[in-house]
Amino acid sequence: MRLAVIGIGKMGMLHAGIMNALDVVELVAVSDTTKFLLNSVKSLKNDLSVYDDYVKMLDNEQPDLVVIATPVFLHVPMAWECAKRGISFFLEKPLAPKSSDAENLLKKAEEKDLTTMVGYMMRYIDTFMKAKTIIDSGVLGKLITFKSTIYVAQLFKTGKGWRYSKEQSGGGVLVSQATHLVDLLNWFFGDVVRVSGHIKSHYSQDVEDFAHVYFEFKSGLTGWMDSSWSIRHHRLLQVNIEIHAENGDLFVCDDYVKLYLENGVNDYQVGWTNFFNPDLFKGVEMDIGGPHFSRQDIAFVNAIKKGSKLESDLRNAYQVQRVVDAAYLSSEKHGEPISL
Amino acid sequence: MIDRILLGHNQFFGVNHLDAKVGSQKEAQFSETKKIMDIINFCYDQDVKAMMMSTHERAVPVADEIQKSAKLKNELGIYLLVPYIAKYVKQANEKGIVNIVRDSLKDTSFQDKVGMFMRGGIGLLTKDIRKMITLLIDFEVAPFVKLNLKAIFLHDALTDLALGWGMADVLQLFADHVEKKYKTTPAFCTKNLPKLMKLFEKTTIKNPLIMASINKLGYQVNPSREAFEECLRTNELQLLAMSTLAAGYLKPIEAYEYLFSLPRVDSVVVGLSSTNHAVETFSEIRRHLN
Repeated sequence: MRLAVIGIGKMGMLHAGIMNALDVVELVAVSDTTKFLLNSVKSLKNDLSVYDDYVKMLDNEQPDLVVIATPVFLHVPMAWECAKRGISFFLEKPLAPKSSDAENLLKKAEEKDLTTMVGYMMRYIDTFMKAKTIIDSGVLGKLITFKSTIYVAQLFKTGKGWRYSKEQSGGGVLVSQATHLVDLLNWFFGDVVRVSGHIKSHYSQDVEDFAHVYFEFKSGLTGWMDSSWSIRHHRLLQVNIEIHAENGDLFVCDDYVKLYLENGVNDYQVGWTNFFNPDLFKGVEMDIGGPHFSRQDIAFVNAIKKGSKLESDLRNAYQVQRVVDAAYLSSEKHGEPISL
Repeated sequence: MIDRILLGHNQFFGVNHLDAKVGSQKEAQFSETKKIMDIINFCYDQDVKAMMMSTHERAVPVADEIQKSAKLKNELGIYLLVPYIAKYVKQANEKGIVNIVRDSLKDTSFQDKVGMFMRGGIGLLTKDIRKMITLLIDFEVAPFVKLNLKAIFLHDALTDLALGWGMADVLQLFADHVEKKYKTTPAFCTKNLPKLMKLFEKTTIKNPLIMASINKLGYQVNPSREAFEECLRTNELQLLAMSTLAAGYLKPIEAYEYLFSLPRVDSVVVGLSSTNHAVETFSEIRRHLN
C-alpha cells in the first residue's frame, strides 16, 4: 500500500517511520510547508517524493492511505480532500478546534464508507487495554464513581505558536492532551450525558494550562478528571484512573493495573490482583516511541486491508470533541452543567 | 574492548519502567550529585569502571565531578547516550520540531559549544541537513567531551526512526562523525534489532556495538524473544544487554543464567540505586563471564 504523509513534524515522522517499516506499506511521498524539512528528508531519502502542496501530492501520488499530522485547524480541510477522493486517512488528535467544524467531514467519510482513525493511542497501551477487558467483564459490579488525572511537566513559560492560539488549536491542555483521557473514559464507560468544566490559565494567555471536568455518564456513573501540562515531577505524560465500584476498585495508569475485588468472579480472585507492564507486554513488528503507536498503526493498516472499521474512528473522535466543547462552554458559565 | 559490566543511569534521572512514581522518587533521591558520585565510586571500588551516561542536564554536574577526580577521569569508561530524548519530545510538543532546530541554532551557548560562527546565517545551514546533524551531535557531546568516552550511542528513538524511514545514510553519518571527530566507537541503541541489522547491510558499519533490551520474559524485546535470539545467532554484532532483569521482575540468578546462554552478549548494564545486593549481583555476572 502506498502511504503519503501530510505534515512531517514529530508525529508525522513517527507514523511514517512505523508504517513504512511494515511489510505491506511503502512511504512514497510527504508534504509539508517547511522547506527545511522537505529538503532534509529528500536529501536523506532520495527515492521519496516531496511536496509543498498536499493537494498536488494527493492527485499525483494517488496514495492508498494518508497520515495527517498537522496543526489542529488544518485537520478538517486536509481530511476533507482525502475523503473527497475516497482515500482512507489517519488523523492525529484532536479532531478539530470545535466539533461543529468536523460535521461535514464526518458525513462525507461515512457516505464514502472510508476507514478512518484518529490518533487516540492510549487505547493501545497494554495497561489500559487490560483495564478495558476487566471493566467489560463486569467483575467490578456496578461502577459508582471515578477520579482521573493526566499530567505532564511541559509548559512553565508563555508558549509560542499555533498551540497557544485558541482559534488554531481549539484550546490548551484540555483539547490537546486531556482528550486522550476523555477518549479512554468514553471507551471505558460509554456515552457522556452531562459535564461541568473549570479551566485556568497561568502560563498561557489565550488557552488553559489547567482543566478540571466533572462527568455524568448514561450508566449513572459520575466522576472527575484533572489535567495540566504544567505540573512538575511528571517527566512523561502520565494518566491515572481510579474506579470505585460495588464489588471492588480498579487502579490503572501507564505502568500497571491493580484490581481489588470483594468477591471473586470467574477467573478473577478475591482481594488484590496486579498486572505490571512486564506481565502484559507482547513484542511488535516495529517499535518507535512505544509499542502502542505500533499497535495503533498496525490496526489502521489492517483495517484498510480488510475494508473494515475501527473503534477509534472519526465518529469516536467527534464524540470526544463534543465532550470537550461542552466542558469549555460550561467553564465559561462558571461550571454550569452542560448536557450533550 | 568494551567493558563487561556497566553502571546504568536511568535510576539517576527518574526513568523507571515499572512505575513512574518510583522513578520520580529515585530522581529526588539522587537530586544531589554527591549521591550519584557515591554509587559511581562504590562501583569503581568493586572494579566496575564503566557507566552509561545520558546527556541529561543533570548529568553535566556528574561529568564535572568525574573530571575533578584524577582516577575517575582516566579510568572510568563513559558510554554516552545522545541525546536525552525526553527533553526534545517535550520541546516538540511545546513548540514543534522546526522551532527546536531554529532556537538551538540561534542559542549562543550552542554556537559556543560547537565552536562555530554562523557565517551566512542559519538559512545556509538549514540547507545542509548532514552538517546540521553533526552539529547537533557536537552540541550534545560538548559537556562530556573531556571524559574517557569509550563509545557514543545514538538513542533508540533516533536509531529506530532512521530505521523506519529506511535512512541508512543517517546511521552511516553518525558512525563516521563519531569515529572521525571523537575517535571513539559509534554505537546504536535500538528496540528493533533484527530489522536494524538488515539496514546495516546498506552501510559500511560492520560488527556494530548495540545496546538493546533482552531478558527471559521478552519484556521490551521486539518483534519477539525468539526472533531476537535468532538474530544474535546469525549476525555479527557486539551486544550490550539492558533491561536484563525486566524492570526488576526477574531474579538476578535466573536472569543472568538466561542472558549468558545467548551468543554475542558481551556486556551488561546494571542499574543500581543502592549498594544493597550489588556485590552479589556483580559476582553473579562475573561467574558467567569468566
